[in-house]
Amino acid sequence: MIRAWRYVRDHYLVLPLGGAIAIVWSNAWPLEYFKASQALAFAVNDVGMAFVLAYVAQEVVEAAMPGGTLHPWRRASVPVIAGIGGALAAIAVYLLYVGSTDEEMLVRGWPIACGVDIFFCAAIARAIFRRGSASTFLLLLALASDVVGLAATSRTFVVADVHPAAGLLIVPAVVVAAMLRRRNVRSVWPYLLSSAPLSWLACFWTGLHPALALLPIVPFFVHSRRNLNVTGAARGEHRRARHFEEVFEYPVQAVVFLFALVNAGVLLRGFGTATWAVLTALLAARPAGILAAVALAVSVGLHLPRNVGWKDLIVIALTASLSVTFGLFFAAAVFPDGPLLIETRIGALGTSVGVLIALAAARLLRVGRFANVPLARQPIGARLTRGRA
Amino acid sequence: MRAPRRVLALVVVSLLAPLPFHAQDLSVPNRPGSLKFAAIGDNGTGEQPEYDVANQMDLWHRRFPFDMVIMLGDNLYGSQGPADFVQKFERPYKPLLAAGVKFYASLGNHDKTSNDSYRLFNMGGERYYTYARDNVRFFVIDSNFLDPPQLAWLESELKSAREPWKIAYFHHPLYSDGGRHGSEVELRVRLEPILIRYGVNVVYSGHDHIYERLKPQNGIHYFVSGAGGELRQGDLKRSAITAAAFDQDRSFMLNEIAGDDLFFQVVSRTGQTVDRGVIHRDANQ
Repeated sequence: MIRAWRYVRDHYLVLPLGGAIAIVWSNAWPLEYFKASQALAFAVNDVGMAFVLAYVAQEVVEAAMPGGTLHPWRRASVPVIAGIGGALAAIAVYLLYVGSTDEEMLVRGWPIACGVDIFFCAAIARAIFRRGSASTFLLLLALASDVVGLAATSRTFVVADVHPAAGLLIVPAVVVAAMLRRRNVRSVWPYLLSSAPLSWLACFWTGLHPALALLPIVPFFVHSRRNLNVTGAARGEHRRARHFEEVFEYPVQAVVFLFALVNAGVLLRGFGTATWAVLTALLAARPAGILAAVALAVSVGLHLPRNVGWKDLIVIALTASLSVTFGLFFAAAVFPDGPLLIETRIGALGTSVGVLIALAAARLLRVGRFANVPLARQPIGARLTRGRA
Repeated sequence: MRAPRRVLALVVVSLLAPLPFHAQDLSVPNRPGSLKFAAIGDNGTGEQPEYDVANQMDLWHRRFPFDMVIMLGDNLYGSQGPADFVQKFERPYKPLLAAGVKFYASLGNHDKTSNDSYRLFNMGGERYYTYARDNVRFFVIDSNFLDPPQLAWLESELKSAREPWKIAYFHHPLYSDGGRHGSEVELRVRLEPILIRYGVNVVYSGHDHIYERLKPQNGIHYFVSGAGGELRQGDLKRSAITAAAFDQDRSFMLNEIAGDDLFFQVVSRTGQTVDRGVIHRDANQ
């Protein structure tokens, strides 16, 4: 039982589980589903997701510390360039696709093209590459792309009444967090109970997406260096009860489950132009953009990480087409409830086929754990269930 | 109060429906001083069927002088430059425009947002707006982007509306038996409670390229009229909420509000009447 739960946790299976329930529910009982999902949307998307983004941000902050994966920053330059290149290519193709139709209103959906599902990618990277440099490369790439999307969607959250003066609340929020840090408060709870609500209110009332609220607070948490890894299995300081990662490991999984439940419900007949635009941008343009950006980076003298070759890069680029969680998040940030949101959500969910494409490519190219095994003995499903390193 | 009103409306409609009538007869009473308007949706193709429907509208306008047309979205398909406004709107509806008929547009998914500034759409540069005619207040909603400010605006405007008739129109149907799109349930969850709370009587939409009249839902009468230029022939999937429908050719609606009655007649591209009836408003509402 414990092993099964660990498997679920490490592979973020709560995400596809929540998504599958949502799709069945929304198509079988649409009225009941949309009533429930719209009732939960605020708590999950605007409050719960703040902890998910903080969880990811905390990993980034710790990975940037001396000895971490992102330290010094030059080590991260190629995957960051790859992530930005992939995002730009996906945005360009999304806009070209939408521009070739007469549905101009879809233009505002371009940030969806930036969404890379960090959790899903981490699980697939682990299945293919285990814990090698390629996994880290993929996560950095995903982060870079998502940061572009977060920056783009930060101002698209719309409330009925915007109160710009409330933005000043961010000042006491940061000051309190800095004071707690200065007093060497190691537990995350004082930060979350004092600074976080102020920061959340500042975001909400100024029209910034409130899921970003914890990001200014996270750097003040007490950190310890680590490698970038969003799917559990941390050690040492990270296992202490006061550490953010330890406190929120399971709540974050619960939020991700609820997020999928609330956002993945789509009427399957609701596909449209935006669906195809998102799929084309993410499944075709983003991998191409990533490879082109890496080629450009290498041509100007930057180096690929050790043990990462072009075959690995192809699989990494194809894996990065997975957009589910962040695609849904960005979609909900730019479109209100309605047909355009449904169209884009179907596209984001459709990028799940990227899993099969990435696994097939890894098998064909004999990359990661598929290396040194004859093709005929490579049942793809077996590769995923054979445990982790 | 809602149930008796619904029953009364159903009784009136069912009593009228079986009456023999000539297909090209005017079924609306055409009373002097009443509010007369037409409704078209998904019309802006610039192709021959749109011109055919527009010609029919002109012919019927001579017998039933409606002074306004509500547009249910997708007012222009494809490119939307100045020449397109001529080919897809001004030319087909030229006789009506020349006769002083005013068009009040809502935005569909194929319309550019900037079309709200096109003078002949009378949107006043707003993607959602309201206006009153006689004893009717119309609420024009942008169902593409039903964001919190628009919902707050709608609630506030409905709350302050004093006209006895409240009519909303927008592109995406809350109820529809069109096979391609069907009911926009996620929109319905957001919008319908507000429409019910403030006593909206009738809702017109397009998007599905058919005509359909739904049985009243929670006291509101719903029409889908999305075949003013486009057509998805045979797309209707009748259900328990279908009251009447037509999916074999293009169509438009004629409407007349006289006192507490809203009379409607649906005319096909060839001039055949494909549905008609009357909706009675409960004066105590």
